Amino acid sequence: MGKIVSIHSFRGGTGKSNTTANLAAQAALADKRVGVVDTDIQSPGIHVLFGLDETKMGKTLNDFLHGKCSIAEVAYSVGEKAADSPGRRKLAGKNLWLFPSSIRGREITQILREGYDVNRLNEGLQAMMRELSLDYLLIDTHPGLNEETLLSIAISDILIIILRPDNQDFQGTAVTVDIARSLDVPNLLLMVNKAVPGKYDYDDLKKQIEDTFKAPLAGILPLNFELADNGSRDLFSLVRPEHEWSKGLRGVAEAILALK
Amino acid sequence: MNQEILDQLKETFLFRGAPEQTLKALIENGALRRFPAGTVLMREGEEGSSLFLIHEGSVKIVTADSKGDELIINTCGPGEIIGEMALLDRAPRSATVVAIADVDALELQQDAFQELLHQRPDLTMDLIRAFSSRLRFSTTYIQKAIEWTQSIAAGDYSVLEDGPVVSVARTVEDKAGQLLSEFFKMAKNVKAREDELREKLEKLSLEIDEARRKQEFEEITGSDFYANLKAQAQALRAKRRDQ
Repeated sequence: MGKIVSIHSFRGGTGKSNTTANLAAQAALADKRVGVVDTDIQSPGIHVLFGLDETKMGKTLNDFLHGKCSIAEVAYSVGEKAADSPGRRKLAGKNLWLFPSSIRGREITQILREGYDVNRLNEGLQAMMRELSLDYLLIDTHPGLNEETLLSIAISDILIIILRPDNQDFQGTAVTVDIARSLDVPNLLLMVNKAVPGKYDYDDLKKQIEDTFKAPLAGILPLNFELADNGSRDLFSLVRPEHEWSKGLRGVAEAILALK
Repeated sequence: MNQEILDQLKETFLFRGAPEQTLKALIENGALRRFPAGTVLMREGEEGSSLFLIHEGSVKIVTADSKGDELIINTCGPGEIIGEMALLDRAPRSATVVAIADVDALELQQDAFQELLHQRPDLTMDLIRAFSSRLRFSTTYIQKAIEWTQSIAAGDYSVLEDGPVVSVARTVEDKAGQLLSEFFKMAKNVKAREDELREKLEKLSLEIDEARRKQEFEEITGSDFYANLKAQAQALRAKRRDQ
């Protein structure tokens, strides 16, 4: 059975979309069958990194979950279609699908009122995973702990929490960790992003984080101006595999793949 | 004086073990020379055709650094041989040698030396053994030095804990050891600076307002939505575990 992996951060600006897209790419490169739920098609996010033009999007994951269309109508095969850039070209022939979705706060409340519950969402996603024989389904959640995010966490096998090395993120992460434990998430991984290179004692940082949150820290990734720029609109870890950020990212991907 | 020189020759790497008669012939074929302090015994780049055994005094072996300033590679004293490679080839001298105190030395010309080899072929074998043993020794050291350099470059300083410490080079063999010793001294300094730098790295102090953490958690988990979600999540996980 495939695993649902939610990628979350308490506040925005942690580099969550880039992390999610690159983790998915690394898992696909490791010959895993990977799906990515893009929950935010309105703003330029994950789909841009995979070379999907929002104007070309038709059916969304919601249509599939409501039984209005087949998964084939929603799934965008990155391995087949997106060989248009130096990074994405490396994914040619790999099993990686993007699922545009429009699950947003208001809609999900509506869905819940209509009786669309955790089980139905879970069964919908599980059916989709079965159909494409997915090993991993990555969900790029919204920042904060709104109802949609809580729903994602509730159905996750693995939760990745991204934080920056500052006290505001630590505070928010503490609450998220408490929630994840309350919702019995079996696997919790932490990842620090945007650490100013050479500024911190990484060993000390890792120890403090793991002691505080009682969860493994899968990587400390440096602040990466090239990535923040994202002029290439491509998958950074594939374009610049030798970069420290890419090395850290691969470490996180390996930690995810190592979880049973 | 000849007896003293003879004793010194017996202790050199080149002539250790050679018959006394041969060494005496060597001294007879050589020339005893005096170099006042400051005199140049050999100059870098010039063709070399003789070796020197330093009987008394000391010399510095120098080359010019990238700025053209004098760089002392080593100093040698009584009983040490310099310029021995000239016995085998006539390649240019690799460094300049200057007397730093008045020097008495035995100079042996390549021609005279080769003449001696003709008369005493046994010396040839001894020399080959001496050179090859030093070469073998150097190769082993270089191999070791490569390994240590690689691990230090990778940030692994554990080799420093049991590395060689040679303070003063007394023999030619010791010089390889001395080089390594200097190398280890350098690596230790680098490590000390790195450690110091690491100390200076910012130590973040993670601060979490526990009261706020509890309050926010309760706000989220206090809703009907959450109670429903948690119940469903529990059922879902139980179901997955059973599968």
